[in-house]
Amino acid sequence: MASEKELDTFLRGVEKRAFKRSLYHVRNQESALDIVQDSMMKLAQHYGHKPVEELPMLFQRILTNSTLDWFRRQKTQNALFTHLGDFESAEDGGEFDLLETLLQDDEANIADNPENQADRAQTLRTIESEIQELPARQREAFLMRYWEELDVAETASAMGCSQGSVKTHCSRAVAALSKALRARGIFL
Amino acid sequence: MNRQNLPFAAPHRLMDQFGARIASQLDLGAQQLPHDVLERLRASRSQALAHRRVAATVAAPAVLAQGATAALGGGFGFWSRAASWLPLVALAVGLMGIGSLQEQMRASEIAEVDAELLTGELPPTAYTDPGFTQYLKLGAQD
Repeated sequence: MASEKELDTFLRGVEKRAFKRSLYHVRNQESALDIVQDSMMKLAQHYGHKPVEELPMLFQRILTNSTLDWFRRQKTQNALFTHLGDFESAEDGGEFDLLETLLQDDEANIADNPENQADRAQTLRTIESEIQELPARQREAFLMRYWEELDVAETASAMGCSQGSVKTHCSRAVAALSKALRARGIFL
Repeated sequence: MNRQNLPFAAPHRLMDQFGARIASQLDLGAQQLPHDVLERLRASRSQALAHRRVAATVAAPAVLAQGATAALGGGFGFWSRAASWLPLVALAVGLMGIGSLQEQMRASEIAEVDAELLTGELPPTAYTDPGFTQYLKLGAQD
């Protein structure tokens, strides 16, 4: 059973990412804060007695469900899921070369200098903007997989879908992000 | 989980590498949240922890029932609930008894007055006569 201190430490560690993830979804700061608060309360109330190692998965699932609940309450669920059609299409435009992007990224990193640091805030805003443009399920899979560092099975469990779907979502999200960022001249 | 230990299977190596770089950028953004957002998150965390404490307090009897004193804990479960109702039941029965007793006393008093009025030599209609009432008052003053 997680002690109060362990629960505090866990929540402290995930709260910022949870807020940003919710913000990418709902695009409203107050709503994102409400969702995170609601998720924290549910975790503490219903799963506070669980071992600390089970908390990350539980919290991710609660956060996902709380976000969906928010959309249901806002009666915009249809708007959310219209984006699902985006990744049901067979092609994402196709013409991107991830290797090329990464190689250019390396060159950009080597050429990094103080002037570039001033552009980093803008770069971050662009990346966040492009993440917000992803279809909801792609965004969710991508953020859980690479930001929350869940493995494919954990991501599938948290999202309530198959591992194959997670791989597809992630692959398409990476392709879309890579293409969009290169088009806007962003090299990490 | 360590970001460096992501499963770099050959077909997904570049994809994972790109995802990790995006995640690093997002980490930077998450570290630059405004003060009011951080305060709100802190308050939410405190509130959640407070509710966890309440939940732990409620769960304590269940733990007691499953422990070494399971019989004692289980016995209290039924008898303590039954015993907690006893004072309330006794109070309700007592109040009903007192009410019934007072009702009976009031009825018997009225019956006594009625009996005296009906069995007396003076007709009851005399008490409605103002002159007789005045006579009684004067007699009482003497």
